[in-house]
Amino acid sequence: MRLLGVELTRFRSRRAIVLTLLATVALAAVLIGTTLYETRAVSEADLARAEQLAAQEADARYTTRELERCEEAPEQYFGPGATTEDCQGILPQAEWFLDRSALSLAAELEETGTALVFLLLGVATIVGTTFAGADWASGSIGNQLLFEPRRAKVWLAKAAAVVLGVAVFAALLLAAFWGALAAGAAMRDITTPDAVVTDILQTSGRGVALASLAALGAYALTMLFRNTVGTLGLLLGYAVAGEALAATLPFTKMSQWALSSNIQAWLSDGAELYDDSLCEEQALEGGECIPTYILSFEHAATYLGILVAITLLTSLIAFRRRDVP
Amino acid sequence: MSELVIETHDLRKEFRTRRGRHVVAVDGLDLAVPRGGVHGFLGPNGSGKTTTIRMLLGLASATTGQMRLFGEPVPHRLPSVANRIGAVVEQPKFLPSFIARRNLSLLAGSIGASRSEVDRALEQVGLAGRDRDRFKTFSLGMKQRLAIAATLLKRPDLLILDEPSNGLDPAGIREIRELIRDLAETGVTVLLSSHILAEVQQVCDSVSIIGNGRLLASGTVHELVGREGIAGVRVGVQDLEAARRHLAAAGLTVTRNEHELYVEGVSDPARITRILAGHDLYVRELTPDRKDLESVFLDLTRDDSLPSRGATEPEAQS
Repeated sequence: MRLLGVELTRFRSRRAIVLTLLATVALAAVLIGTTLYETRAVSEADLARAEQLAAQEADARYTTRELERCEEAPEQYFGPGATTEDCQGILPQAEWFLDRSALSLAAELEETGTALVFLLLGVATIVGTTFAGADWASGSIGNQLLFEPRRAKVWLAKAAAVVLGVAVFAALLLAAFWGALAAGAAMRDITTPDAVVTDILQTSGRGVALASLAALGAYALTMLFRNTVGTLGLLLGYAVAGEALAATLPFTKMSQWALSSNIQAWLSDGAELYDDSLCEEQALEGGECIPTYILSFEHAATYLGILVAITLLTSLIAFRRRDVP
Repeated sequence: MSELVIETHDLRKEFRTRRGRHVVAVDGLDLAVPRGGVHGFLGPNGSGKTTTIRMLLGLASATTGQMRLFGEPVPHRLPSVANRIGAVVEQPKFLPSFIARRNLSLLAGSIGASRSEVDRALEQVGLAGRDRDRFKTFSLGMKQRLAIAATLLKRPDLLILDEPSNGLDPAGIREIRELIRDLAETGVTVLLSSHILAEVQQVCDSVSIIGNGRLLASGTVHELVGREGIAGVRVGVQDLEAARRHLAAAGLTVTRNEHELYVEGVSDPARITRILAGHDLYVRELTPDRKDLESVFLDLTRDDSLPSRGATEPEAQS
């Protein structure tokens, strides 16, 4: 516990880490501000103008012609069982002419909420890397081992500090983000269904866990390679070149082994992935085919878990055995 | 309890460089450092001093051989004695963006040392007024002092200092020398690796000299210097030319300058007085020119000054 306390102090004292986290907070604040501004309440004047535009559009010749065609054959427009009343749906609505929609936490979960978690993943990777990298770059790791020669203990204390630091930061940031949006919705008398709140909580929880895992993995890789730039370069190289290479291999469902697909599946409790190769055989036989498949959360958890476990184990063994400069 | 604080037996370290070259950095080293006093650890660049120190401290693994610190086998039992050992290996290494106090506090925290211990250590090396400055703004001398301050946090029984005078000005060197002597007087054993041989001779009680990873000589400074005897004798006499002739005739190597003769190849200065007195020449001045540690060191390591087997101090064997 004493060593963990020391490593936590080291973590929060690192200027690079503090600046990275502050920049993330600033970006999140911008995201909150932009979201609230772009979903601000519609004024009476905005609504009147939109209604006027919708009425003009409804009176247009091509619209009335389209309405007539629909009323003659509504099922062609709206599928089996459709009636002529359904055709009113093709008439222009006032909201089509409003340049913004009302604040919806469900919609934000799909868009800005997911973007924020991806931002957190990047930040967690940088933080995990720079935390370990600074010790190697300065050579202070050797000094630390003169005070605590049990290397596994040192490695674990640093790993725990990275995970704790990133988890607490990610949890606070996501809580502040969703808290601000929820407060904005409440002020505008917009109610959020319980199911959406549950979704937000679960997605945020998975986001915090994934950010912690990313920081841990980045830390372990840096302890292995002993170099911040090298580790970040490797991760970037894998993210760009590795995944592109995997996509060109002549196997079906290769995307299930891509890091990005598994991250998506982890965050969204499963993800629907597009894969052309799924339909190649059916297309030859002339059958219908939907070129997508579901990547489950369990698959993502297993894949990411194994990847991180291998990294951690290799890093720990190497740190215990290799000479320290 | 062992009377030796450091022992190595047949210690060997081999590694491969990044270019695949096989290097023997330490080659069957037997080292024995007695408890108490200051022990010099000397050797030319690449002789294996730093590698030996790093192996003793658990930073590098030995290929073969045994090591003991305070009688405990290391690295196996290093954690049990680590708190008794303070060490500065090569350059002082701290996080550059942290202030001096923060760097020390983190190390102190890992061994449970109090804030007052940090204050005491800073005070002891004369950095108390600069404790809020960032490490990267320090001069090399101040960095060395901070590194020594870090070793003092443990109140060590054994202090291992690898070139502690590097980068220090003459006043700084003197301060460090006094600090080392003060610590030794309080019972701390100091292993001092240094290239400044005059410094070592002033401060060390005993020395070990290594070359190419092997022990070349070991003993007290007095023993080593005394063992090598007299380099020459300066002779002052009225008739320099006559004296030179008689001494040369007796088989001695004599060099004449304006005011005196320099006689080499004589182990006992009394022989000179006997030869000259036999020719009615009476010595006015007779000064034996005893070898110092530097000349002993250079004689011993003459063949090792350039590593014959490619041995270098490994910077980072990663």
